[in-house]
Amino acid sequence: MAAHAKQAQQLARQLFRLSLADGAVSPAKVTGVLEYVEKHRPANPIMVLKAYERLIATELGRSQALVEHAGAVSEDVLHSIAAVLGKRYGRTLTATTRANPALIAGLRVRVGDDVYESSVAGQLASLAASV
Amino acid sequence: MSTVLEQIEQQIAKLSSHAVKKNTGNIRTIADGVAKIDGLSDVMYNEMVSFPGGAIGIALNLEEDEVGCVILGDVSQLKEGDEVTTTGRLLSVPVGKALLGRAVDALGNPVDGKGPIDSKETYPVEKIAPGIIVRKSVTQPLFTGIMAIDSMIPIGRGQRELIIGDRGTGKTTIAIDTIINQAKANQVGLASGDPKFRPVYSIYVAIGQKNSNIVRTISALEAAGALQYTIIVAAPAADNPANQYLAPYSGAAMGEWFMENGLDALIVYDDLSKHAVAYRQISLILKRPSGREAYPGDVFYLHSRLLERSARLDGKGSLTALPIIETLAGDVSAYIPTNVISITDGQIFLETDHFNQCIRPAVSVGLSVSRVGSSAQIKVTKQVGGKLKGELAQFRELAAFAQFGSDLDAKTKGQLERGARIVELFKQPAFSPVPIELQVAILFAMQKNFFDAIDTKKVVAAAAAMKEFFTTRKDTLLTEIRTKAALDKDLEAKLQAACDEWKSGYTA
Repeated sequence: MAAHAKQAQQLARQLFRLSLADGAVSPAKVTGVLEYVEKHRPANPIMVLKAYERLIATELGRSQALVEHAGAVSEDVLHSIAAVLGKRYGRTLTATTRANPALIAGLRVRVGDDVYESSVAGQLASLAASV
Repeated sequence: MSTVLEQIEQQIAKLSSHAVKKNTGNIRTIADGVAKIDGLSDVMYNEMVSFPGGAIGIALNLEEDEVGCVILGDVSQLKEGDEVTTTGRLLSVPVGKALLGRAVDALGNPVDGKGPIDSKETYPVEKIAPGIIVRKSVTQPLFTGIMAIDSMIPIGRGQRELIIGDRGTGKTTIAIDTIINQAKANQVGLASGDPKFRPVYSIYVAIGQKNSNIVRTISALEAAGALQYTIIVAAPAADNPANQYLAPYSGAAMGEWFMENGLDALIVYDDLSKHAVAYRQISLILKRPSGREAYPGDVFYLHSRLLERSARLDGKGSLTALPIIETLAGDVSAYIPTNVISITDGQIFLETDHFNQCIRPAVSVGLSVSRVGSSAQIKVTKQVGGKLKGELAQFRELAAFAQFGSDLDAKTKGQLERGARIVELFKQPAFSPVPIELQVAILFAMQKNFFDAIDTKKVVAAAAAMKEFFTTRKDTLLTEIRTKAALDKDLEAKLQAACDEWKSGYTA
């Protein structure tokens, strides 16, 4: 089982590398990879595709700034967030929004694994942890 | 006034609008106290990571697209998909004198119900051992209070002396006796007001032991008045393997604080066999390649990096280690025992046969050795006990030979009888260490043949009577032995006179 998982992971990584164009995920290449997988069914196709999906999702997450907000956020603010973070990470980021009333007030921006927290809920959580 | 308030409010606003960056991941799988996590791209090796509900993990496996973490604490509330965040900190434990007299877990949290510990400092659990330049040779003695050890296998401050033997041979008892002896010496030394006296603080690390055994140990230390100089680090069998794996390193960090602050400390790891088993369990769950006896390849490094942290530092203090290893059927050539034997500066080997023959402590003189301790032995012990190891070895050889026949010449019979008396003299009940000055007095009496006229079976009682005699009536002489630490003609004459006095008044 462990050996199968390792093989599937390795194949998924190969497919992932084939899906990149200029360091970014190319939708055309992803379509091509999926067609290839359907045609030449590898061993454990579900395992391979799940691992591939995870790698693609991680990569897409790295070029996306998900802005969670409580209250309204103007387009200007979104653009400036995308611009500042894009400069920091050295790549073009697209900002998407999601309303999250649990934040109470403020913003939470997620780029890949990194989370920038500037919300009341975050401050309350850090206060609770320090008490 | 209002401008001042505005200033403060502006400062608060500045601080509160500051965005906090966190590096996060999500639990992909969780089983047996180990979580595989997606993300955490910034995590460092051995970094603490924070799980929901306050649980803490340590990143042990950094792989291409996942991180393997051991979780310390309650895992029952964690589930797949939960968010995990890095902390940017290495695992640290509280250190300092505030921990003395307390029982803590592997993370330094109190488990004795005596309230929070007021500790100001923390030390990292994993630390690189002191290098060559800062170390100093072992030259100061650390008395165990066990006559057989102090006279024949002496231990010095900063030494690593392994206690090895089968189950139920008295390994823990030797360690506890040593802790009790340090406490007694501390009480006497601190009361004397001697500015040169250096107290020894003890740390007892219980790994994978039954809770009832730990309670018994604490009770024994408390009864002997030794708990106030001791820290107990408990990772019992009911704890998860991650805690059992970390406990010795936490104990070492607490000991290092004493060493770094110019104090002397003693640490007992009870026992490293169970520690290796806990690490094997973690490694197998993390899917690290297994080697001999299914232990991972770095099991030697696991113990070497721990024991190398015990040292005597130039211009600072020392940390003496007494690791314990449990053997199976006396097999010292098994994997973990040979590893630890090669790391330490000697071993005290305990034999099941001796134990069953009521020779307790069941120290095997032939197989036990102290590689650096003899340079730490005080002169007076060398003077009265220098020949003992040879005499005992001769006795064992002759005793084995004498089993085949009864016609023995007078010299051989004499050697056998003397050997048998030495064996009897070294018998010592548990939790009653003997101060070094009293050991010297008894060994002097042995050397001067004061026990020769006493029947072998009555030597133990005679030795007890002699201890009583010296403790109650020759206190000044004992103090003189302790302070002089060498036997000159005057002291020898006084000892001889005291032994004569005891003999004239003693009836077997």
